[in-house]
Amino acid sequence: MKYSNEQLAQLIEPTRVHRKVYLDPDIFDMEMERIWGSAWIYIGHESQVKTPGEYATATMGNKVPVIMVRDKDSKIHVLHNRCGHKGAKLVDQASGKVSAFRCCYHGWTYRIDGKLVGVPNMPGYEGTGFDKSDPQYSMQKVAQYDSYRGFVFATLDPTAPKLTTWMGAGMAECLDNLCDRSPEGEVEVIGKPMRYVHDCNWKMFTENLNDGMHPMVVHQGVVDAALQYMKTVPEDSAERSEAEIIPPFGASYEHFESTDLFAYQYGHHYDGGRTSIHAAYSVPNDYEQLMIAAYGQKKTREILTFNSHNTMYYPSLTTKTAVQNIRVVRPISVNKTIIESWSFRLKGAPDNMLKRTILYSRLINSSFGMVGPDDLTAYYRMQNGLESNGSDWIEMHRHYGRDEDKGDYIHGLLTGDLDIRTQYKAWKDYMTREQLAQEVA
Amino acid sequence: MTTIISANPSIRDIEQLLYQEASFLDKPDLDRWIELYTEDGTYWMPAREDQEDPEFELSHIYDDHVMMEIRRRNFVHPRAASKDYKIRCSHIISNIQMAELDASTGDCTITSNFHALVNYMGEQRMYGGSYTHRLTKDKDGYKIRHKRVDLINCEEPQKSMIIYL
Repeated sequence: MKYSNEQLAQLIEPTRVHRKVYLDPDIFDMEMERIWGSAWIYIGHESQVKTPGEYATATMGNKVPVIMVRDKDSKIHVLHNRCGHKGAKLVDQASGKVSAFRCCYHGWTYRIDGKLVGVPNMPGYEGTGFDKSDPQYSMQKVAQYDSYRGFVFATLDPTAPKLTTWMGAGMAECLDNLCDRSPEGEVEVIGKPMRYVHDCNWKMFTENLNDGMHPMVVHQGVVDAALQYMKTVPEDSAERSEAEIIPPFGASYEHFESTDLFAYQYGHHYDGGRTSIHAAYSVPNDYEQLMIAAYGQKKTREILTFNSHNTMYYPSLTTKTAVQNIRVVRPISVNKTIIESWSFRLKGAPDNMLKRTILYSRLINSSFGMVGPDDLTAYYRMQNGLESNGSDWIEMHRHYGRDEDKGDYIHGLLTGDLDIRTQYKAWKDYMTREQLAQEVA
Repeated sequence: MTTIISANPSIRDIEQLLYQEASFLDKPDLDRWIELYTEDGTYWMPAREDQEDPEFELSHIYDDHVMMEIRRRNFVHPRAASKDYKIRCSHIISNIQMAELDASTGDCTITSNFHALVNYMGEQRMYGGSYTHRLTKDKDGYKIRHKRVDLINCEEPQKSMIIYL
């Protein structure tokens, strides 16, 4: 390893971070091993694999190929996508359905739960010591996998805490709320993901999620364009109300100052609390009635007024709870990241709710959109600007010393840097853990 | 912007409208481009092969007149970082065919293939696929009521792009 734990620790100070963490391919490799190889990584949603034999593939970190598959007893497994013989990937599609996994090379065949069942021309192995029933030749299960409200995570670290422990009650509440917005308490994935190439380090994306100081600057162009257009159409026109979805993206500093930031262990956080930029979105009456029928008046109110705008399940998943969109971080290299956007249907809710979910995601998550490309241009310029050795440090001082420790979480404001400091605290913990130090030695 | 068409349009006449649209996108000049569309016109770029619905499934773009008007203004806004980079495009349209014609109105559906070479943020990119134009005729000639752009790599990861194709 090029960096000792001590050297890694020196890259992170309470209020600043060394530029190498975004630029050095060696640090990226260590992140893949120590953060992405040990945190719970979002794999997919159970509704992607509805029936036995249906599978969906994912990559953990930048390398490890895995398969999420439903077995004949309807149990979901996350298996290494690797033949137990010579190591070929067993499937190379994003998703599909199989009755068994069969390797394209020598035809070794596995049950859908990964157990090796078929090796062609077995007599050749007689007396060689090869034992087909030895589990090492089956498809290997990922060290730990579990799901929460249908969201499937896995970790490559057998010593990692349980999923619910890692997630914590506060972050679990955000996923609960995303699902509870369905009158049936369940969501299902819609279609395939939209994937967006980001020419930047993965952390530039994760550090923007709860950055409350950029929207009014980065999105000023599209907000102005929408406001200019709105002046050309009558006050009560359909055109005007359609355009109104855009101006909140450039809400004022005052607005973001009144949005809370909740920071948790393991680098997790979300913004919301008293308000969010979606707080004013109206709730269609037909939907509200279905919710009241399912949950009663009081609980419905609680569910629909719970504000969580962007969450960060560090390092791989972020949700937009109120509009049922998620984005998944897939790091490729030190300066390349792919962001997957998935949208969900609230089971039992009217179609207009899904229409809103899709509209919202298309507006902000599309690489051809009017919001995402401006964010990405900023990340891209940081990635390139940081190559300057004019200074080695990036500051993260905002509201430092003003955060309140509430026991279960740390409270701050969306306009502060608590989110970034939270991520780097976890970064440092993951990167310099004692047992890893011993392995390296 | 109009194209003069006889009662039964010939494909050659229709081609002119498609070429005109391509030349406005080549510049790009969205102020003139938007005039080729009807007030209820839509532009759709699906994110999935054979996608049937623009509203209940994710798309790269699904703009109606309101979004086109906002995009047109945003495109020239000095405070939109993604627009700081000059963009140059070159569209080639071919295999133009009339898929449907309503003889009573002259309204028709035109399919074509396209390649668009785009230079943006210091790199040259190639986009390609098929277009489906639904054209409608009024007293001044044809306008575009709907355009569908099926990229051949619509399901692959895409980079930032600030212009219609």
